[in-house]
Amino acid sequence: MARYIVKRFLLMIPTMIGVAALIFFMMRVVPGDIVELRMSGESGFASKEQIALERARFGLDRPLWRQFVEWMWGLARLDFGRSMWTGASIGSEIQLRFLLSLELAVLATSVAVLLAIPLGVIAALKQDTWVDYAVRIFSIAGIATPSFWLGIVLILGLLIIFKWLPPMVYTPPWVNPWQNLAQLIWPALAVGYRYSAVATRMTRSAMLEVLREDYIRTARAKGLWEKLILTRHALKNAMLPVLTVVGLEFAFLMGGLVVTEQVFNLNGLGLLFVQSVAHRDYTLTQALVLLVAAIFIIVNFLMDLMYAWLDPRIRY
Amino acid sequence: MAINPAIDVATEAPTAEPGSRWVSTLLTFCRRRPLGAIGAGIVVIMLLVAAFAPWLAPYDPVAVDFGAMLSPPGPKHWLGTDAFGRDVLSRLIYGSRTALLVGFGAALLGATAGAVLGVGSAYFGGKIDLYLQRLMDVLLCFPLIILALAIVAIMGNNLSNLILAITIPMIPRCALVIRSSALSIREMPYVDAARASGFTHRRIILRHMLPNVMAPYLIMLTAFLGQAILLEASLSFLGLGVQEPTAAWGLMLRGAAVEFAETAPWMAIFPGVAISLSVFAFNLFGDSLRDALDPKLRTL
Repeated sequence: MARYIVKRFLLMIPTMIGVAALIFFMMRVVPGDIVELRMSGESGFASKEQIALERARFGLDRPLWRQFVEWMWGLARLDFGRSMWTGASIGSEIQLRFLLSLELAVLATSVAVLLAIPLGVIAALKQDTWVDYAVRIFSIAGIATPSFWLGIVLILGLLIIFKWLPPMVYTPPWVNPWQNLAQLIWPALAVGYRYSAVATRMTRSAMLEVLREDYIRTARAKGLWEKLILTRHALKNAMLPVLTVVGLEFAFLMGGLVVTEQVFNLNGLGLLFVQSVAHRDYTLTQALVLLVAAIFIIVNFLMDLMYAWLDPRIRY
Repeated sequence: MAINPAIDVATEAPTAEPGSRWVSTLLTFCRRRPLGAIGAGIVVIMLLVAAFAPWLAPYDPVAVDFGAMLSPPGPKHWLGTDAFGRDVLSRLIYGSRTALLVGFGAALLGATAGAVLGVGSAYFGGKIDLYLQRLMDVLLCFPLIILALAIVAIMGNNLSNLILAITIPMIPRCALVIRSSALSIREMPYVDAARASGFTHRRIILRHMLPNVMAPYLIMLTAFLGQAILLEASLSFLGLGVQEPTAAWGLMLRGAAVEFAETAPWMAIFPGVAISLSVFAFNLFGDSLRDALDPKLRTL
């Protein structure tokens, strides 16, 4: 087991390096760089010398491989550098947005889990009845509805029915938790619906599979209460794949909410990413992609460990 | 509205060609999977609407009419007009062309490339398999929309680049699933036999292995169709996809639709309904297809 953990952990390193290399070279292929963008934005034209000088300041005039090696060396020392656009350190640029994205992801996950597990279990128990069909239609509709559109409709509904708009400025939860929730619950609902749909379908199919197992029949045959069979025997075993889906979606939420953030005017990681790509802010884009990829890889790693720990049939 | 014709399709089917194998397969599918049949019906209607758009649309989708700006749904404009006085219904009808083109284009390309890579990876094994899988791992770490965003930024946004941007994130997801089914097929006696007969790698991959991963391939394909339409809508909404004045559902939700949402909610509501309904139909159909073809496979 210890050997498996170490091996699995070490496998994360080449993947991260691959991600780093891919985003580094991808950014360099994008036409235009930050110097050109800024110079053309400020005065309309700039002399060749000025542009060359600015490039040298960012180190963009050095050969690509040297830039890459230097960046990697910085990463190895956990030094992400400074944002090319604002000049602030990457850590301070990301910090507050990371908190917002994390909070939204946690809220959306709670919404999703609260909806998904009861619905999925009921659908599996009543397979092929109208209840099952209703749950399936509800969940397929959730996957089909773009969450950014659901967000627009939610805002519209609040505006027209209650003549009220959620607050537009982010308040950290430790300042005013109520205000904070009043703003973030709506995007969490919009995103959580789609998310719960994915989890509901997984819960349903995992439950269906488990309910056909021999040990469930044995439990029924020995006259155990149905409730106990469901919670202790079936649900516990069906939760593993559901956990995977929830984990992966959580990782996705940390960086993938570009559009929903735009609708709700949230200044999260997704917006920061779009801005950094538009500015050709190489250091910031690279740091963000690495962050999101790291979350994804770590969640995956933890899921694998959890599988090995929770399912005694899996031993490495 | 769109559900009744779907049932008509299902009941009319037997009179078309009695005794044909296709029709009886179709009938069985409809009877066993009513939800799937409804989905398929909506898809067929969408295809027809897209094909006959010029005859169905009451107005030119790009014709600006400043006299009728932001008019609410009524007898003249069934679903109202947008901030430029363009007819929303006509833009929805033409928008189905964009959605289907991007959806089918990206899904076919993504699933096919993924299938070839997956089968190749499983067939050759060893180093090739190892390196391909690592590459797929790296691509999988990139959130779907971020990868698409970067590709559009690099290549510029026209329709074919948009399709490519949506295709690339799909490839590793498909390759992963196909590879795992291809691994077991590689061990089948008929593949050994083909190898012993001295067939080329290409022939074995294309003629012997690919046809046997058809079930997961079709399942991934239908799942990708809906996802591609959703992704296209998101990218167009961000301004990174289809450009004005082309009619596209995601684009219709951008800008004025949000600004004037309170006074002219029809602009924001109908395109979203169109996106949801079409993706819903593809997913409904895909789901039933998955249940019918491979009940053990779980895709999201």
